Amino acid sequence: MKYKIRHITEYLYAEPVSHCYNLAHLIPRTTQRQRCLWSQVQVHPVTAASAKREDYFGNHCYHFEIQRPHEKLIIESSSEVETSAQLTANELDFSFSCQQVRERMQTSKDPELLLAREFMLDSPMIKASDELRAYAEPSFAPDRPLLSAVMELTQRIYREFDYCPEATTVATPLSEVLALKKGVCQDFAHLQIGCLRALGYAAKYVSGYIETLPPPGQEKLVGSDASHAWISVYSPGEGWIEFDPTNNCMAHEQHIITAWGRDYFDVTPLQGVIFGGGEKPVLNVSVDVARLTG
Amino acid sequence: MSDSFITPPTDPAATVEFDAKLGTVKPHWRYLLDGLANLGEAGLADRQFKAYRMLRDDGATYNIYDEEAAPYRTWQLDLVPSLIDSDSWQPIEAGLLERAELFNLIFKDIYGAKQLIKQGVIPPEVIFGHPGFIRACHGLALPGEHDLILHSADLSLSANGQCCVLADRTQAPSGAGYALENRTVMTRVLPSLFRDSHVHRLAGFFQRLRTKLTNLAPSQEQPCIVLMTPGAHNETYFEHAYLANYLGFHLVQSGDLVVRNGYVWMKSLSGLKRVDVIWRRVDDWYCDPVELKGDSQLGVASLLEVARAGRVAIVNPLGSGVLENAALLRFLPDIGRALLGRDLRLNTVPTYWCGDAKEQSYVLANLSNLVIKRTYQSNSESSVWGGNLTVNEQQELAAKIKANPIYYVGQPLVDAQQIPALTAAGLENRPSILRSFAVASDSSYTLMPGGLTRFASAPEASAGFRITSQSGSHSKDTWVLASEQERKSDVDQQLARSINQADLESLPSRVVENLFWMGRYAERAEASLRYLRTVFITINGDEELSLTCRRNLLAAVTLQTGTAPGFIDCDDSLLLDPEQELLNLVANGYITGSVRANLNAMLICADNSKELLSSDMLRVVNDIHDGVSELDAILSQNAVAGPEELLDPLVTTLLALSGLVQESMIRGVGWRFLEIGRRLERTIQTSQLIQGLVVPEMPEADQSVAIQSLLLSHEVLISYRRLYGARMGVQSSLDLLMLDMSNPRSLSFQLEKLQEHLQALPRQHDTRHELPAEQRAALDASMQIKMTTLTALSARENGRRQQLEKTLSRLNQLLDSVSNFMSDKYFDHREPSQQLVRSVWENRE
Repeated sequence: MKYKIRHITEYLYAEPVSHCYNLAHLIPRTTQRQRCLWSQVQVHPVTAASAKREDYFGNHCYHFEIQRPHEKLIIESSSEVETSAQLTANELDFSFSCQQVRERMQTSKDPELLLAREFMLDSPMIKASDELRAYAEPSFAPDRPLLSAVMELTQRIYREFDYCPEATTVATPLSEVLALKKGVCQDFAHLQIGCLRALGYAAKYVSGYIETLPPPGQEKLVGSDASHAWISVYSPGEGWIEFDPTNNCMAHEQHIITAWGRDYFDVTPLQGVIFGGGEKPVLNVSVDVARLTG
Repeated sequence: MSDSFITPPTDPAATVEFDAKLGTVKPHWRYLLDGLANLGEAGLADRQFKAYRMLRDDGATYNIYDEEAAPYRTWQLDLVPSLIDSDSWQPIEAGLLERAELFNLIFKDIYGAKQLIKQGVIPPEVIFGHPGFIRACHGLALPGEHDLILHSADLSLSANGQCCVLADRTQAPSGAGYALENRTVMTRVLPSLFRDSHVHRLAGFFQRLRTKLTNLAPSQEQPCIVLMTPGAHNETYFEHAYLANYLGFHLVQSGDLVVRNGYVWMKSLSGLKRVDVIWRRVDDWYCDPVELKGDSQLGVASLLEVARAGRVAIVNPLGSGVLENAALLRFLPDIGRALLGRDLRLNTVPTYWCGDAKEQSYVLANLSNLVIKRTYQSNSESSVWGGNLTVNEQQELAAKIKANPIYYVGQPLVDAQQIPALTAAGLENRPSILRSFAVASDSSYTLMPGGLTRFASAPEASAGFRITSQSGSHSKDTWVLASEQERKSDVDQQLARSINQADLESLPSRVVENLFWMGRYAERAEASLRYLRTVFITINGDEELSLTCRRNLLAAVTLQTGTAPGFIDCDDSLLLDPEQELLNLVANGYITGSVRANLNAMLICADNSKELLSSDMLRVVNDIHDGVSELDAILSQNAVAGPEELLDPLVTTLLALSGLVQESMIRGVGWRFLEIGRRLERTIQTSQLIQGLVVPEMPEADQSVAIQSLLLSHEVLISYRRLYGARMGVQSSLDLLMLDMSNPRSLSFQLEKLQEHLQALPRQHDTRHELPAEQRAALDASMQIKMTTLTALSARENGRRQQLEKTLSRLNQLLDSVSNFMSDKYFDHREPSQQLVRSVWENRE
């Protein structure tokens, strides 16, 4: 599937910002099931310096510096991406068993697997805990195929947690999300990753977009799409497999990846330091994911 | 600075260099110990005291974090150096050079190909789980073969040439400057003993260091190299200023640097100056709020991205903290074989990593016999010797280890070398460790021949203690003995040169701002001290003062110190018994405007512009420091007889400082700013006192007392009497204090000097001839005084001398403008910054 994506981020400041330095993760990366065909970032006001590079995780990042006073910052990222599907649901039962995977993660000398162990450790926003392990454990019987167990966990999170944007913020800790049983895609992804790591599996945070379809008979609204987040789990032999606890599914062609890392911290869409600006900047984000035909 | 645990040797014979009881000593110690013995007890004590004075005069301090009262501690140097003969040194040197090479390769691998992980040499968790591993630093590289430019190690030596490395320091190793200062003091205190001992010189090491830093510069023409310090509160700030001066680098703080257009710049008086190389003493995570610790105030926004683009070289490279990982030591022999293809020359302290199940069981079973360290130094949890813990504490520790095993290692105690130190009881053995310093140069490393030796200050009977500068251990110079005399090279001369005149123009703005305020605070403190002293003398004098007279004198104190309401409109009881209040204004640092508060502010400014002060000035600054500490005694002495006498030493010290500003400071821009601050403040202080003592309505007799106090506090009473006799005339006093150009305390004199200095400041190139704003204001101020007449000034209208009041008030306004114009034009105005979005930052557990 081919998509054209337009992601506009706008900051309105209470007072002028004299200069600022930013780092953006807004350009889709290339992965096994996805190619970024073309991309472009436009910043207003004009940047004094900017550079694109690949980060530690292979994501595209974009650095820029603005040296003129401004009260409004606009970053428009456009790209064209071609995606394909990953494994389908009926293949899930053929993976290694949970027990086997746990053992291999500890003992294998396979370089790919040794590197994957990075994603078993605690990360800035995700700390494995007994509570998370206790929550996830019922789905992970030792002889059950790992991917089937992960799918069940995905379903449970989908069923047992309410999608509720008001309930949490970026800073809400996982223990609270688990207690409230409420959150947004980012919380659910962090939660599932925390569960998997607590049990001894490697899991990544994936950020990107999902194509949404308008209600039947209605036109799709411009800017109605949103950034999205889901997870990827490592299964020896099969590699990294993506699941989406917010939508109770495995990631498919409509999941477009921007970046991945240990958690949100590694792939924050826009971070930086501003000089001036006053209090409480207003943030507006608009995302369009348009399917390209032909 | 260090976190190493040691123990006295289990087999004393093996590591003792000297035995007082048996009278035995290793041969290479003989010459030194005989030489020291020849000095006699008194001679030694005398030299030790001289050494102490020199260190204190150089401002050599080590700041102890938890001591609020006296955070600055004079660096402790023992007169008996640590001796290492050349046969013993050779294997140590070879081993340390190999170790530096190895750590360089580990650094490159961790931030590059990760072969050590992929080949299973080190478990992934050792690196991936270490908070010093900074993913944003992946792929950073410096030009040349080495990324790790400096490597330091703490090691314990033993007599049989075996030594054992306890820990490595790779982020911003400290101590080289203290080693240099120790050497400088030793060569002055024991010159002949030093000369005849054939000691390897240190200058060559610093020469290599400077060459290496210079070669790292992206632009090779006159590269700008800066030493970035966290600031004057840092524990090793002395060393930062000392090394910057010695090597001729600018000493900068976070706010002095800024990224613009993809490069790093230093904000200097002459505008922005591009920076090529940053020798940083700021820890990794604090260096860049954009990509690293978001709320850091010690870094430079976007620094990492500039380094990544190769437009600035940072030494040591960001991310090198991962090498200070105690768990790496566990795998070092294997890493050595993997990367160098051989067994390492130097031993490393045996290390058990709790991330490994078997080793974890061993550590838990042997808690009482191991030092337990975190793999990453953390302020919240320091290393402990298990033997010192109670059963409960051991259980708590075991629980922590089990919860996060990959963060802990266990290490046995290491036998430390015993070397003689000078104590009250004569020479006694003390366990010691050595910090070494290696710098990359061309294709290899160069090791400082010597290093910083530290030893425990008390003879330790029990095992399991540590030597750290934070815990107050003492230091020694380290003499590596050459087989023959080394020739003194030109290197020593070259290095001794300080910043040249051209560089003075490009001083960081922060430094000149601090000098300006240092001048102002010093003058403010001096003026208050003088007047307070005068008031004490007057109210305690023979003459009975009327209540109104007291009111006038004391209200002027309030006016001058800016501590209203104070004595203004106060109860009569306070006027009759003002002593305690006056003492408060001297010694209570919590009152803004008190002498102590002003002196404290002055000392902070001095600390922040240390690199421009001559050594004589630093000595006087130290004296002021001591004087301030003694103020507590003044405050506690209730109703002490003659408090004015207690103030004399401080006045004298402040006078010495202003004398040295004239006599020993290079006439660069920095000096101009200090002078401008002084002249400005003196004008303000004098005019405020005239305002308080001459303007208000008062009876003739009181006026006479007021004028006498005014003249006395300005040191012109005697000249006045010589000129005008005993009658205290208003006009003649105003003439002397305001108009007389031959009186160095008169307003006209200050304004004349102020204008001179302002004119000498660097100007932007401009073809027009209008005067800069600050010069116009100063000229206007000068005209206010020049265009008055004594008759007008002394005339009273409705009781008050209104013309005088008007003139003084206008004068003060104009001086405020001068100060503001200066500040706008020359000083840096750092805007507060904030994070765009971020509520967490990389966890440093």
